[in-house]
Formats: sequence, C-alpha cells, structure tokens
Amino acid sequence: MSVAPPGESANRLRGDLMAYATLSLISIFCAVPFFWLLIASFDGNAQLFLRWPETWTFANYLRVFAKEDGAKWLFNSLFVVGSATLLVMVLSGLGGYALSRTRAWWKLPFLYAILLIRVLPSTALIVPLYKFLLTLNNAESALLRPIFGSATRDIMRWTGFIDGYLGLILVLATMQLPLSLWIMKTFFDGLPRDYEEAALMDGATMIQRIRRVLVPLALPGLAASGLFAFMSAWGDFLLPLILLSSPELQTLPLGLFRAFLRINEIDYGLLTALAFIYLVPAVVAFGFARRFLVQTFSGGVKG
Amino acid sequence: MIHLNNVRKFYGALEVIKGVDVTVDDGEFAVFVGPSGCGKSTLLRMIAGLEGIDSGDLVLNGTRINDVPPDKRGIAMVFQSYALYPHMTVAENIGFSLSLKKVAPAEIRRQVEEVAEILQLRELLDRRPGALSGGQRQRVAIGRAIIKKPSLILFDEPLSNLDSALRVQMRAELQRLHRELSATVVYVTHDQVEAMTMADKIVVLNQGTVAQAGPPMDLYHRPDNEFVATFIGSPKMNVLPVTMTREGSESIHLAGPLGMALTLADANAPLPDGAAKLGVRPEHLRVVAEEAAHFIAEVAIVERLGVETYLTVGSIDQPIVVRVEGDVTFRPGDRVPLAADPTACHIFSADGRILRSANAA
Ligand SMILES: Nc1ncnc2c1ncn2[C@@H]1O[C@H](COP(=O)(O)OP(=O)(O)O)[C@@H](O)[C@H]1O
Ligand SMILES: [Mg+2]
Repeated sequence: MSVAPPGESANRLRGDLMAYATLSLISIFCAVPFFWLLIASFDGNAQLFLRWPETWTFANYLRVFAKEDGAKWLFNSLFVVGSATLLVMVLSGLGGYALSRTRAWWKLPFLYAILLIRVLPSTALIVPLYKFLLTLNNAESALLRPIFGSATRDIMRWTGFIDGYLGLILVLATMQLPLSLWIMKTFFDGLPRDYEEAALMDGATMIQRIRRVLVPLALPGLAASGLFAFMSAWGDFLLPLILLSSPELQTLPLGLFRAFLRINEIDYGLLTALAFIYLVPAVVAFGFARRFLVQTFSGGVKG
Repeated sequence: MIHLNNVRKFYGALEVIKGVDVTVDDGEFAVFVGPSGCGKSTLLRMIAGLEGIDSGDLVLNGTRINDVPPDKRGIAMVFQSYALYPHMTVAENIGFSLSLKKVAPAEIRRQVEEVAEILQLRELLDRRPGALSGGQRQRVAIGRAIIKKPSLILFDEPLSNLDSALRVQMRAELQRLHRELSATVVYVTHDQVEAMTMADKIVVLNQGTVAQAGPPMDLYHRPDNEFVATFIGSPKMNVLPVTMTREGSESIHLAGPLGMALTLADANAPLPDGAAKLGVRPEHLRVVAEEAAHFIAEVAIVERLGVETYLTVGSIDQPIVVRVEGDVTFRPGDRVPLAADPTACHIFSADGRILRSANAA
C-alpha cells in the first residue's frame, strides 16, 4: 500500500469534491425538465413553473385520451415508427450480410456514400423530397382512382406517399438505414463464416441457414440496429409535419406541437401528460438497447 | 479411400493449388502439413465441397465427387473455430444435421447420447457452448462430425485454439478416437510435431504443391528435397553450403563453412563436382577430439533440457545446431571440435533437390 503525503491527499479530496459538485449541478440541470414533466402531468392545475401539486390526479392523462385524439396519435406514432424499424431491421440484416461477405471493389465507397445520407440534414432535402413523393403520390392516385373510385382516399391513407402511412414509413426507414447497415455489416464481419459453412455441410438449405443459424446469431446485432432506428425515428418531427396533413394521421409529436400552438389557452397539464407519454417508449427502448449494445459492441458472438 | 488427381485451384489469376496428387487409404490418419499460406485449408475445403475445383478429379470410394454438393459427399468437417452454435445446447449442436433431415426427436436423442458416450460428453448435453472449456468444445465439434457417420472426417487446425498442455492431451484423444472409430481422417496443421505424432501418412505441402508424401519416418530419414528435410524434425536439420570435389573413384571431398572438411564414400552413383548443400540433423553431429574434427566452431547458445543439450554454434547467419546427450559443461564462447556422422549426411543440389539420402535408417 502506498501512503500519500497528507497535503496531497487533502488536495485530492478537495478536487474530488469540486468534481462531484459540478457533476451534480449539471445532472440536476438536466434532470429538472423531466422532473417537472412528471409532476406537472399529475397536477390538476399545472403551471409553467415547477411546483409541488396540490392535488394528484390522472385527469390530464384522461384528457389526452378522452377529449383529445391521444390514442390515435400514439397508435400512429407506434405504427409508423415500428414499421420503419421493422423495415430497417430486415433490410439492414440482409444488406449488412451482403456487404460483409462481398469482396466487391465498390464496397467501401458505397459504405461511405450511404453514411453521407445520414450526415446531410434532412431539412435541406425536404423540397426535392416532397416533390418526388408528390409525383409518386399523384401517379399512384391516378392509377388507383379508376379502379376504386371513391374508396381511393381510404386506401391512399395507408399506401399514399404524401399524407399516407407508407410514404412516411419509407422516408423514416431510409434515414435510419445507413447507420443500421454499418452496424450490421460490422456485426457480420465479426461472425465467422464457419457457422454458415458448418450448416452447409450439415445439409441446411438456404432458408434453413438463414432461419436456424444466421438469424439467431445476428439477433443481438439486429436488436441494436433496430433500437437505434427506433429511437432516432421516434424523435423525428419534421418529416411527419411535412408529409402528413389529415387529422387522423397525426403522430404524437405533431399532436403535442399543435396543442402547444393553440392560442386561446395553454393547457400545461395536457402538454406534460402528452410529453410524458411521448417519452416512455424512448426510455423503454433505451433500456433494451443497453443490454444489446454491450453484447454487440464488445466482441459479438462468443461460442 | 480418397484420391486427388492433379487437382488445381485458382483465385482469379493466382494459382494456389498447383496440381496436387494425393491418395488417402481407408482408415488412414493423413496429415497435410505446410507453412501458413501454402494452401492447406484451400485443399481441405475443396475436398469438403466448400470451394470449387478448377481442374482435376476428386474421387471418394471410386466415385468422382467434384460436382457433388457438400452435404451429399459423406464427408464431415471440424472447423478451426469449432463453429458451435451459441444459441443451441450441446445436444442440439450435435444433433443439428439430423434435425435438418427431419429425423424423429427420439431417434436424434438416442444417436446424440451414443455419440456423447464415445466423447464423454454425457453430463454436458444440456449446456450451451459458451459454458464449456476449450477441450470440451473441441469434443462437441467432433461429435457434430461423427454423428453423420461420415466416410471421411476433415480437421482444419483443430488444436490451434488450445493451450499447449491441452494440445498434447487432445492429440492423444484424437488418436484414440481414430482407432475406436476406424475413421479415415484428413487433418490439416502447420505444426510438424502434430503431424509427426499423429499421422499414418504425412503430406507436406509447399506453395500449392506436394513436396513429399509418406509415413512420418520416411520423410524424416529420406526427405525428397531440402524443404521437407528442414520442415520435418525439430530442431531443424542443418543445411550448409558445400563445394564437392571428387577424390578418386571411391570418395568425394566436401568443403564447407568454418573450415569444414570431410570425405564421404561415393562409389555407385557418383555425386557431381561443384556447389551443393550438406544436410545433417543435430543428433548426427558429435563433439569429438580435436584430431577427429570436421570443423571447429564457437558456441553461441547453450540450451539445457536435462536429458539432452542443444548447442548453437557458428555465426548468426549460418547457425549450426548440435544435440549433445545429457547435461554438458559447455559455455558460450567455448570452441568445440565437431564431426558429422558420414552415414547420416544428406546431399542436396544447389536448388534443393536430394542427390543422396543418408544411408542410416
Ligand atoms: N478467397 C480467397 N481469395 C483469394 N485468395 C485466397 C482466398 N483464400 C485463400 N487465398 C490465398 O490462397 C493461399 C492459400 O490459403 P490457405 O489455403 O488458407 O493457406 P493455409 O491454410 O495453408 O494457411 C494464400 O496465399 C491465401 O492468401
Ligand atoms: Mg489454414
């Protein structure tokens, strides 16, 4: 055991105290908004400023679901982001595998090129993107209208590129795909080919190799790439704002935004309850992510 | 019996297997050995069906199997990484090939237990590979191979992931298994000790060609070329540049480094005059009295192993290793008179072909 001179150890103690005090201040600074959200959402008479509720109540949450279309917004958000995540997982799983195993010369240029999509701010591309989707949407509409007549709008609500689920799902997935492809490519790089070849020698068909060997082995990587996609798409606000207009297609962040913009009154109880509902899936996703991230980024599959 | 007839493999324009001819008989333990990158794995994977064969024939038990898919060849392979599926138990890993064939679960269980009995894996059947030691994983990987009742089992450097003590133990274990199963085995390694201790037949590969094939002691005593001579045996055979000069009709004189001078009997198939190489193993060099010495050299390194001692003598760029019985008192810097056993000398041409083998066997 080494013995530090008394002066030095006192210095170290003072340094530690300063560090902890600073960190605590920063943590409090970061945590206060969440704390305010939580208590204000249960406050029957929530105000702009942090205060302890006089009466605890679920009224704010009831209002979200009964008076407002909260259930619909939540469903829309979960459906759109969930579908985009699923799409990203399937595409990044297949694509990451192909990118990992190919020896094509364009592999690295391609990987860097797609990362550019992720780096460019989507706001900058919003006009051409909108134009592009609008053209697709009009074409689809022109194709469907003669066949389905007045039912076309109901179909387009699901399959439309503008003001329809499909368009938003595709765009959200596209934004998340580059990072997920990178994650999966790196993951498969660390997965020995021997696994597949052993299965091949055992007589596994292509489908069996994917279903019984590759998918189970890739699960930690897929979970990581899916969770990243989910968390990032869940937080996206601009794309649904631009691409959706029908009230029945609104997502949670849009609902929250519009409730905040109402000029006659600002209902802090409603806003905080909405915000809290909006936070929960992200926090849950993060909880899952932590477990898989450790597995994925600390050496892949051991076996 | 597996037979390779003038087998070739190209990666693009690069020829990595350059016309290999090899035969492995039924029940034989054949070891393909060679330095890293010489094409051992490629050759093994061609036999397994994981790599295509660009030209030549691969014949298993009388049938040409060049174009038979891997799982239909009746060949099993144990991978270097073992490739055990981490999401399956030991039993599921071993029974995987049967479950793919839709064999009834009860029958799979019965066969898995049979295999587990042979490999002493009974207690581990419900564990996952992650909870096994290196040696146990190795046995599971072998179990996954032998449950298919293959006519040939391939191993690609299966011991390279184990520590040295376990490696010695697994070597014995593999030999026992080979005897019990009377299986035909092709085993790939870069380690000539593994090859010498386990093989019925060694195939030495060098840069995509067979340098020599045969029983271990044939290769040791009668190498076909300098490559095999120096690759097989540890410590390596000493190979020294010499100049040969005929001395009458019965003998030839060799002059080498360190003032080396010796005369070999040379009557029936006379050696040519000129530059050549003398190959002599460490155990065929002896410390002798000064007047009997072929050369005198300064000791650079002394390695005492108790039962024997290795002296490295000569210069750094032309070291010569001498094996001496027992524990000796030489020290670095000592000058020792040395002689080669004339009956144990190999003569190679300047480009490495054998001109004359030792006549001691
Ligand atoms: N897929 C491949 N593409 C191109 N070259 C390869 C490929 N696989 C192996 N090689 C080359 O073929 C040679 C033999 O490789 P390999 O059979 O793995 O050697 P070993 O197992 O004896 O170490 C090496 O030079 C290696 O670089
Ligand atoms: Mg190899």
